[in-house]
Amino acid sequence: MHMNARKVAPRVVVLLMVLGLSAVSLRMNSRQKTQLRPGDSMWRMTYVVNFRADKAGAKLRASFPLDTPSTRVVRREPLLAPGMKTARPRNPRSENREVAAVAPQPGDFRVTAQCDIHLSPRAAWQSNRPRTDLTPKAAAAYLRSEKAVQAESPTVTDTLAVLRTGVSNKKGLVERLFEYCQTEIRPGAKDAPHDAAGALGQGAATPLGRARAMIALCRAAKIPARLVTGVEIKLGADVQPHRWVEVLSNGQWESYDPENGLAHELPRNFVPMRRDGAEIVRGRNVRGLHPTISIVRMSPPPGAATVSGGRRLADIFDLTRLPLEVHEILSLILLMPLGALLTSIFRTVIGIRTFGTFTPTLLALAFVYADWRTGLMIFAAVMVLGFASRSLLDLLKLLVVPRLSVMLTLVVLCIAFGIALFDYFGVKPGSQVLLPMVILTMTVERFFLTSEEDGVGFALQLLAGTLLVAFCCYMILCWATVGRMLLVHPELHCFTIAALILLGRYSGYRLTELWRFRDLAGPGA
Amino acid sequence: MVKVSTKNANGTKIESADASLRILRGYFRLQCRTQSPIPNPQSLIPLMAQTKRRFWVRPRELRRQGVLGINLRNSDYVLATNPRKHYPYLDDKQRTKEICHQRGIPVPQTYALIQRYGDVRRFLELVGQRQQFVIKPTKGAEGRGIVVIAEHDGTEFVTSSGQKTTLPDLRYHVAGILAGLYSLAGQPDRAIVEQRILRHPVFEPVAVGGTPDVRIVLYRCVPVMAMVRLPTVASRGRANLHQGAVAAGIDLSTGATFGGVCRQQAVSVHPDSGNPIGGIIVPGWPKLLAAAIHLAEGLEMGYIGVDFVLDAELGPVVLEANARPGLAIQIANRCGLLPRLKLIDAQPAEMFRPDRRMELVAMLAELSC
Repeated sequence: MHMNARKVAPRVVVLLMVLGLSAVSLRMNSRQKTQLRPGDSMWRMTYVVNFRADKAGAKLRASFPLDTPSTRVVRREPLLAPGMKTARPRNPRSENREVAAVAPQPGDFRVTAQCDIHLSPRAAWQSNRPRTDLTPKAAAAYLRSEKAVQAESPTVTDTLAVLRTGVSNKKGLVERLFEYCQTEIRPGAKDAPHDAAGALGQGAATPLGRARAMIALCRAAKIPARLVTGVEIKLGADVQPHRWVEVLSNGQWESYDPENGLAHELPRNFVPMRRDGAEIVRGRNVRGLHPTISIVRMSPPPGAATVSGGRRLADIFDLTRLPLEVHEILSLILLMPLGALLTSIFRTVIGIRTFGTFTPTLLALAFVYADWRTGLMIFAAVMVLGFASRSLLDLLKLLVVPRLSVMLTLVVLCIAFGIALFDYFGVKPGSQVLLPMVILTMTVERFFLTSEEDGVGFALQLLAGTLLVAFCCYMILCWATVGRMLLVHPELHCFTIAALILLGRYSGYRLTELWRFRDLAGPGA
Repeated sequence: MVKVSTKNANGTKIESADASLRILRGYFRLQCRTQSPIPNPQSLIPLMAQTKRRFWVRPRELRRQGVLGINLRNSDYVLATNPRKHYPYLDDKQRTKEICHQRGIPVPQTYALIQRYGDVRRFLELVGQRQQFVIKPTKGAEGRGIVVIAEHDGTEFVTSSGQKTTLPDLRYHVAGILAGLYSLAGQPDRAIVEQRILRHPVFEPVAVGGTPDVRIVLYRCVPVMAMVRLPTVASRGRANLHQGAVAAGIDLSTGATFGGVCRQQAVSVHPDSGNPIGGIIVPGWPKLLAAAIHLAEGLEMGYIGVDFVLDAELGPVVLEANARPGLAIQIANRCGLLPRLKLIDAQPAEMFRPDRRMELVAMLAELSC
């Protein structure tokens, strides 16, 4: 049987390589052939931000466009911030696409960012707009009075009282408020008021002030409203942010643009970037913040999702078609086999032993999500405290499953208070320190049993091996360029499988065996 | 003056005076524990040609010596000749025992097989009046989870290493075994309570704190290499090499021990007792080889290791069989396995007839390293 395997394995490897190569070339061919549909266009948006950091830890945040029925961000370059530490705030509940960079010391910095947008006049990506049902808490956020949106100020309430007369329903009221804001508030110069009360009081305002005035009026009438900051996609070297208003009506957010006098249906080339009133580029502890956003039209790049309207079964094989958020997760997942490949190399070629086969890969994945320093510190804390409590737990003589569950609970508590401790001492914990708790529990248990049975030295050796392999896997998982390449060409994993098959048939010595059997190679032996 | 003779891998005899051995004893002990890189002056002829111990060798050198590596063992021997469906007969000691029973191979007598948590309470009843017994998991690996009770009065139990333990502690241990604490993949397990093996007097001087075991590696039902593993203080009475037990090769034709390795370091005396390791003839050697062959036939596996212990009364009894026997046996024998395995593969089919197997063993024993 093994003679068979010896002959078949190389053939399978060759077959996989041929398969991989042909799939890659097929995909590249089809990419080159695909044209944008008539009317569709590709745009590249570039941010250049110059600023001065006042002190160490000064933070700059930039937001990227959100997807609409007619626009989609197909590619996003990572933030280019020389000398700064980039971080991606991951808040799953936030719809914002925000990236951040932290200045390690005061000084002048320059940050650039880039993204590509596919604009299609035919609505295709979101066929039906989702109904929004706000929870009372969420609704309160869209009804509250703010510093520049003074929904409770007498100027606003008095204006509302006048406008309200004779209007019976909500819809009619919103229309009248919109009408008022675009006709009765004159477009003012740069020094005109940009807050709601000022705009209504003086009868003149900046575009921002007019939008805020409408929001304040809606909120005073107990109608949820929000400020949208975005841009209009068109050629421009210094594109200014554009603001409009969204009002919740019958479970749908309706758009109103007092500046251009547009309502309900905004032009297809309006892309929102933030829906919470925040600026597109903002900073903390920074001065002289000067963002420039330029937009150019470009020829369709290979790899851009080019098919809009009409579904094809072949689209399933195009992962770039998926929303940008999914891209990140998918490219991380697609890197996992490379981590497994690395683990295999460590095991069969080098001969390093670890706790569990895929424990290092999963630890590495956790370290990617958390900041690796935080992850490592919490890992060390879990190991030390887990080991101590496991030793104490041994006195109680518990049965295996309940004992492991107690350990799991302790590990969870350890992680929770570890994060709290970091916070207390002002060290910002990574927003997601979701270490694989079950894996950690099993590692603590195995570490304890190994140190009891085979000595602490051996257990530490295994732990060091685990961390070494985890570190190398971490380096691989951080390799964003390869991750993106795999997203475009997932068929490259044919080569991964081929490499794994070759490794699986490797029958040479492991590196550690060259040490282990060194005495057998003596000249007289 | 009593002369002590040891035999090394080349078969040459080294004679050393008892007194000088005694002087060197402390040094050897140090050698074994600290893994000093200084070559042992008594470390037998093959290593003496080297001026200093190398840290690293080239793969070519190992290949020339016919050293079998883990990857090759797995791909060409374990995966190729051991059918997966027969593994349960090796992984489960109780099933191995059943096969031994069928074939009339001596094994330690089973007193009780505990399968359910309910039986844990009745544990003492099951043991009965016996003063000595061993508790072990049926699917344990590397000697894990084994407790040897040397005497008890129903409430207090004394293990073979002299530790005192109580009935609740033993029950907890048995429950741990049933829950799969010591089993290979953590799956639920059974606990065997069996006869305690009485150490054979021949190993008395070289086994400290436990019972030595004899490992035979068989390929296609032919014994290819053998070693004895001697427990030490460092290995806490377990015959486990990476914990510091001593291993010595066994000459296949005579059953005489030679050489000796402790923690990768050549030794010729036991690090604790100071008695010479080489030159001990394993009692009942032909019987032991015959039993190993017989068991390998019953298990229908191509490449296995069979572990024996030598009982003072029963002689060699089978402890367990292993589908992935370790490669340290090569270090103990100072000899690679590959030439022997290849020699066997080169034999015509009629050489594998039961009556001619011993001829093959003799051929292997002739093979120089």
